[in-house]
Amino acid sequence: MNNESYHKLKTRLFWMIAILAVWELTAQSGVFPTAIFPSLLIIARALGDSVVSGEIIIQTGFSLALILQGLLISLLAAIMISSLAISNKMVDGLVDTLVAIAHPLPGIALLPLIIIWFGTDTLSILVIIVHSVIWPLILNMMTGFRSIPTIYKEVGLNLGLNRFRIIKDILIPASLPYVLSGLRIGWARAWRALISAEMIFGAVGAKGGLGWYIFKQRVFMDTPGLFAGLFVIVLIGIIVEDFFFAVIEERTIKKWGMS
Amino acid sequence: MGNELIQLKSVEKYYQGSGKTLKVLENINLDIQQGEILAILGPSGCGKTTLLRQIAGFDHPHTGNILMDGQEIVKPEVKRMMIFQDFNQLFPWQTVMQNIVYPLQVHHVGDSVRANREIASKYLNLVELDGFEDSYPHQLSGGMKQKAAMARALALQPKVLLMDEPFGSLDALTRLSLQNLLLKVWRETGVTIVVVTHDIQEAILLSERIVVMGQRGSGGIKRIIPNSLARPRDVGTKGYAELYEQVYALLDV
Repeated sequence: MNNESYHKLKTRLFWMIAILAVWELTAQSGVFPTAIFPSLLIIARALGDSVVSGEIIIQTGFSLALILQGLLISLLAAIMISSLAISNKMVDGLVDTLVAIAHPLPGIALLPLIIIWFGTDTLSILVIIVHSVIWPLILNMMTGFRSIPTIYKEVGLNLGLNRFRIIKDILIPASLPYVLSGLRIGWARAWRALISAEMIFGAVGAKGGLGWYIFKQRVFMDTPGLFAGLFVIVLIGIIVEDFFFAVIEERTIKKWGMS
Repeated sequence: MGNELIQLKSVEKYYQGSGKTLKVLENINLDIQQGEILAILGPSGCGKTTLLRQIAGFDHPHTGNILMDGQEIVKPEVKRMMIFQDFNQLFPWQTVMQNIVYPLQVHHVGDSVRANREIASKYLNLVELDGFEDSYPHQLSGGMKQKAAMARALALQPKVLLMDEPFGSLDALTRLSLQNLLLKVWRETGVTIVVVTHDIQEAILLSERIVVMGQRGSGGIKRIIPNSLARPRDVGTKGYAELYEQVYALLDV
């Protein structure tokens, strides 16, 4: 870890502790009833109980499994669609139009339609996740493909690479910085859409997911449990955005001097 | 001479500008001999890069023919490897070794990864880049990147290296050392080399023949000058000054 990111981490830790301290002081002061503003200890206990009973872990696992499936499907589909679009002008026009229509549509706005078309099963949630991820991914991938220096393609032609290899071994690695930032945007949109959809659908499948978990706690007026759920959402967000993507970038585009 | 590798016959290339046609290449007739170093020299914008790109197969003349071994050149091929001036011709996501091994794998040159790595090592050694196998291109200097690009091209055993001002962006000392390296590579592999340059000294030090091209828009070859100075050459070599004068006069700069 370099000096700069170490400093950033230190600053962040400092402010996290400060915010938690203010929270605890407010809770202890008794200005708000415990039922709506629980102390950290109560929240931690609720989280602990939920972990021990396995409930929150199962719900989180359910949500994460769904989103991973969605990301994988979107990534493969985006690669296929972008590759077709870059090789064919007609397809390019079609994809461009589809992206223009679908990209501004928030996944959650499609919910009523998706319920009519696909019901309220896990399939529907998957559809929303794929919708949230695939458009920004295609948009970024196409930008990436178009901004590749001509020299890579010319070297590829000179080396006698066929179309497939040019896409697989040149276009995709060369546009990786764009693909990664598309995945980051896609992840953020999908994660938000997923939590919302789970709340609205209620218990989809057998278990229900993290969104349903939070919603359920409100119904039972279990405020500490609700905060425990929020805590897990924040934690996953930080882990994915600051560590998962950071590690991938460190091992690819940063190592290659492409960032 | 009878051992022409590449023949250009009445090659013409023009660009349609606003209302007028700019002749970039006009009536180019040129034979490139097997095993020679041919320098194409001219001021910027004279069409020398355009000419090289037609030979490579990246682009096609409007009229005339370009033949290699009697066959029309229709597309870029491994037997004519281009070395660009741009340092970024290596793939940044591959190490130096992977950059060289990758095309060998694609063309099944060696029958195993190991065999291909051995071929790559041999050519890295030839261009004096041992010890940098596992470096990524962005960790190399400009001169080292050009060496790696040469190794990648040579490992495929092309018949001709087409070099577009390959050392044009290097500092004077590095350029000198890469010129000497190129001569060593030429002696050891016997590969035919066509090198485009705007540097009279480079043309004289490297080549067997110098093709002098005219100013922008004049579109043609002014003269082809044989260069039979004794090797190894430097600016003090007998006949250097006279040859320099002769070329310089033709360039009318």
